[in-house]
Amino acid sequence: MKRSILNLVVTALVLCMASVMSSAKVGDSAPDFTATASNGKTVHLADYRGKYVVLEWHNNGCPYVGKHYKSGNMQRLQKQWTSQGVVWLTILSSAPGKQGFVDANEENDYLAKMQAAPTAALLDPTGQIGHLYDAKTSPQMIVINPQGVVIYDGAIDDKPTTDLDDVPGATNYVSRALEEAMAGKPVETAATRPYGCSVKYGD
Amino acid sequence: MRGWVRHSAFSWAVVGLALLLPAASARAESMPITHGTLELIAEDQWIAPGHSLYLGLHFQLERNWHIYWVNPGDSGEPPRVEWQLPPGVTAGPIEWPTPHRLETPGIVDFGYENSVTLIVPMHANASLSPQQAVQFGASLKVLVCSREMCIPGKAQLSLTLPVKIQSPLPEPRTAELFAATRKSLPLPIPKSWRINVAGANDSFVLTADAGHPIMQAVFFAVTESQIANAAPQKLVPAASGFRLTLRKSDQLLKPIQRLKGVLVLSGDRAYVIDVPISKARGGSDAP
Repeated sequence: MKRSILNLVVTALVLCMASVMSSAKVGDSAPDFTATASNGKTVHLADYRGKYVVLEWHNNGCPYVGKHYKSGNMQRLQKQWTSQGVVWLTILSSAPGKQGFVDANEENDYLAKMQAAPTAALLDPTGQIGHLYDAKTSPQMIVINPQGVVIYDGAIDDKPTTDLDDVPGATNYVSRALEEAMAGKPVETAATRPYGCSVKYGD
Repeated sequence: MRGWVRHSAFSWAVVGLALLLPAASARAESMPITHGTLELIAEDQWIAPGHSLYLGLHFQLERNWHIYWVNPGDSGEPPRVEWQLPPGVTAGPIEWPTPHRLETPGIVDFGYENSVTLIVPMHANASLSPQQAVQFGASLKVLVCSREMCIPGKAQLSLTLPVKIQSPLPEPRTAELFAATRKSLPLPIPKSWRINVAGANDSFVLTADAGHPIMQAVFFAVTESQIANAAPQKLVPAASGFRLTLRKSDQLLKPIQRLKGVLVLSGDRAYVIDVPISKARGGSDAP
């Protein structure tokens, strides 16, 4: 009981600090968070220390997100990387009443329908995780290394369009960051403009 | 009348040809796009060999819907146009009107709400031969957004105009739109002004010497990922101008040599700047 109160206080402190300080940048420690997943489980980012973690900002009404799900690109990436031990967290930061806001059941239906395969889909209707990472768009992508350091923050690839035709020829920055980091190399393109729809935060 | 009778065969041939060809007009039908209409317009009544003609893409959007500037800011995407032009005609770049800041919580985009005209110069080769009608085609990809949602759209536009040797005459039906658009373009910086940009660790410091105090200034970088779009721009008025501190974008990982963009002062006065970036005074390289 004491411990959970302490956790609450620490979480509140971190959130207060996050709203004052500038958010996590490439090279910084990834700020910890606790969130409820659409499957009902509680996810602590800190529990995944020792693994690579991908954060994917999601809004099912956004045409840029649609490009990567209708083409199957996002699901392919999720399967490819989670099969190699990477933790993939889809984050939904749309506020209630805004585009992309869904409840747990709706999100589970969407994941099933799209055959999406993230480790978990995190419901963030208050935008706390979004603000903690200063997520601007969906689909903004962040890669965290096993030491808990942000090694990539930005776009999913180098084709900032809604055209499904642009998926095959694109350079995928998330895959490249993971490949480089896993090979012990520095991530060459570590920050890009995260193209897409603005995250639909509450006012 | 006699002339008409004498040339009737020729005249009928001309009428027949005119029926076959689309009517040459400086203003095509406006076509519906997502949450608005789009029209391809011409500033002049015809195009002349060796002259330039301005075409315009006129967007009329529903209230509170917008399209984006060349640097769209944190989200969104600028319109992209591919021209299909008559042989001997080449297109210049879009001349972008001064953008507006479109703010939602935590996110700042740059663009145009409600209506805007994007004008483009078309250069006609001196060898272009006079003819009744040549066709200008535009394939457009455009993202139309409200604060709530974005919808991508495509449009195929066309406009036919005659080619004449005579110097072009302005088209009265589009004169007002082109005049208003030209007023919304940023101007070259006044010659007497001195603009200096110094690079510091986390910011660029833009200093303007204009010979008089300036109380209001906002900078729009033409290239994305240079300035943190949503960061406050700190203005310090000075006796002869101002100093403006611009936070660097987190995405700016490599040094840049020049800062290009649009400086907007009070009263919607806007100037294009393109200046080399020097090291900040008092920086580590100072003697």
